Amino acid sequence: MLRKLLLGLVFSTAATSAVVAAPVTLQVWALDEPVHFTENMAKEFEAQNPDIKLDIKLVNFANILNDTIRAVSTNTAPDLLMLDNPDIASVASHDVLLDLSDRIAASKVVDAKNFYPGPINQSTWNGKIYGFPRGGNTLGLYYNADLFKAAGLDPAKPPQTWDEISAAAAKLTDAQKRQYGFGFSAVATEESTFQFLPWAQSAGGDFNAINTDGSVRALEFWQKLVDDKVATPEVLVLNQPDLGSQFIAGNIAMIVTGCWELPRFANEVKFDWRVALMPVEKAGAPRASALGELAYAVPKTSAHPDEAFKFLEYIYAQSSRDWNEYGWLPLDQTATPKDPKWPEAYAVFAEQMKYARGRGPSPEWPKVSKAIQVAIQDVLTHKTDAKTALDTAQGTIDGLIK
Amino acid sequence: MFQSGFVKLLRDGKGFEGTLIAAAVLYLVVFAAFPLVYTVVMSFQEVDMFTLGTLVRPFAGLENYTDLFHRPEFTPIVWNTVIFVTLSIAFQLVIGFGLALFFQQDFPGSTYVRGLFLAGWILPALVVGAVWRWIFAGDFGVLNYALQSLGLIDGQIYWLSNPAYALYSVIIANIWLGVPFNMILLSVGLAGIPGDVYEAAEMDGANAFQRFLTITLPMMGPTLGAVIALGVIFTLQQFDLVAALTQGGPANASNVAQYWSWQMSFQTYEISGGATVATMMIALVIVVAVIYVRSVQREHTF
Repeated sequence: MLRKLLLGLVFSTAATSAVVAAPVTLQVWALDEPVHFTENMAKEFEAQNPDIKLDIKLVNFANILNDTIRAVSTNTAPDLLMLDNPDIASVASHDVLLDLSDRIAASKVVDAKNFYPGPINQSTWNGKIYGFPRGGNTLGLYYNADLFKAAGLDPAKPPQTWDEISAAAAKLTDAQKRQYGFGFSAVATEESTFQFLPWAQSAGGDFNAINTDGSVRALEFWQKLVDDKVATPEVLVLNQPDLGSQFIAGNIAMIVTGCWELPRFANEVKFDWRVALMPVEKAGAPRASALGELAYAVPKTSAHPDEAFKFLEYIYAQSSRDWNEYGWLPLDQTATPKDPKWPEAYAVFAEQMKYARGRGPSPEWPKVSKAIQVAIQDVLTHKTDAKTALDTAQGTIDGLIK
Repeated sequence: MFQSGFVKLLRDGKGFEGTLIAAAVLYLVVFAAFPLVYTVVMSFQEVDMFTLGTLVRPFAGLENYTDLFHRPEFTPIVWNTVIFVTLSIAFQLVIGFGLALFFQQDFPGSTYVRGLFLAGWILPALVVGAVWRWIFAGDFGVLNYALQSLGLIDGQIYWLSNPAYALYSVIIANIWLGVPFNMILLSVGLAGIPGDVYEAAEMDGANAFQRFLTITLPMMGPTLGAVIALGVIFTLQQFDLVAALTQGGPANASNVAQYWSWQMSFQTYEISGGATVATMMIALVIVVAVIYVRSVQREHTF
């Protein structure tokens, strides 16, 4: 009796699977705040691909790397997960992520020729692509045009070199009103590394050449802005959202922050504000900007890498919607939005994105970044001079990246 | 048959007691002893983010400890921690004791106002941190405004971004947060002192100050011991305020051991380093816990 029943069961399953392919369910971990990008994309994708279901579990930014580490070390990783882009290399270096290079090369939807260089380099480790950036965000110079006019500056000509920044910042500073000319974030977290590297890179430095003359000049430049009181000493504790709030309040006339602030500024800023490219050391010096954003990755243990990649292809095909609907630049340079929101700002950031350089990549990124953070804070508080602090940082970093 | 026997065993005096003890012991083993031992073990191993899932890891001997002692930030952070704990507890205790004595005087509404003081203690430390961040803000903070209006200072004091002030700003916020708890525990202690002792002393001509010195203080001894011990433990746990106010900065000026341990474990993934700091803190807390247990025992015997 039991055997008969089992036999029947086997036959009936075989019969149904012969008719329709058993639907595949992808386990997905998504960081989806504040925009519900993955969830929206998944709904659209499921409608087009009824045989693939996405089971999405939401994770938050603070836990994303911890959760991933725990999952891969206990073999419970999902089919698709998201990582902050500087963390790709550390996870990939442990050989737990699937190399997507061949799939990208073979894809009819994804064309590597059109990638912005920054995001894809950041997702590459040892020549293989382990992350699929959902897009990129980068830094620009936001300025208060009303304060420019009041200070006798031409808002059509924002400062584009370090000297111009110092000069404009001095004019825009009003100690009586506690109004500062310039602001950046030097807080003791990843955010200060993110903000500082473009200055060093424009002067010829980088994370692995952090004690070069250029990097030293960059840090001395930051230090001088604070010493001259054209930037508030509070930059040591202001994170980027705080910086944005100070800009909105009209307390800081120029700040460096990311394109993610555009929606908030568009809603809350009560004055004429504009965006310009990040300043460079001198006219003609190489442009540089930071690069942020999350990337998708497929753990090696996934049983459905093809379906997972198909979902990534779908996301890629929607790239031209990214700017208007989600507020970042796509991986695909050619995917320009039809009628971009904040068109002037879009033009600046689309241009800036070409110069956006990643952090690392290095499997030891958190420690590399920490060494740079320590140097920044030590110099701005005059614990040491820039050369000594950056030599120390370089020593630490050399030991890490060998 | 078996069932009723089992139930009987449970209900029966010895079985019942055994079950209760077993439940408590099981809880302690799983949620206290295991993580504690695990942390200590990790401090003697090489642990990075991808060896978290396994227990078998390379033995590092005392390397984690010597590495820690040789870091340039070690000495400043230890000192910061000592200052943080000492000042926090000293002021929490003095202010808390003062308030407890004050509310011990039976004036109308004293119990209600005392209850209101607890509001601060109910707030999550992260919220308290966010509020104090606004108060301490250098350019537009309320504290600077108040001090300037009173004519006490001329320029701004950068409470959070000046390395000379940052640690003390965190301490001030922590004192504010800890006072209500101290006050309540000490109020309970004060309420336990029999009133007739005071009456007798008063009849013998002892003034208020003498009564405090010869009755209140000695009889509060065990309570004070317990409050101080708990204070040390709570202060060494105070992570949220540091995270919300300064993140240990600027340049480690306000970094304390508990925050440093977290930074190593979860920011730079030097998990053995974080475990090593935690282990040293465990050793300290055990000493304090012994003092606490002893003072509680004394409390029961007088």
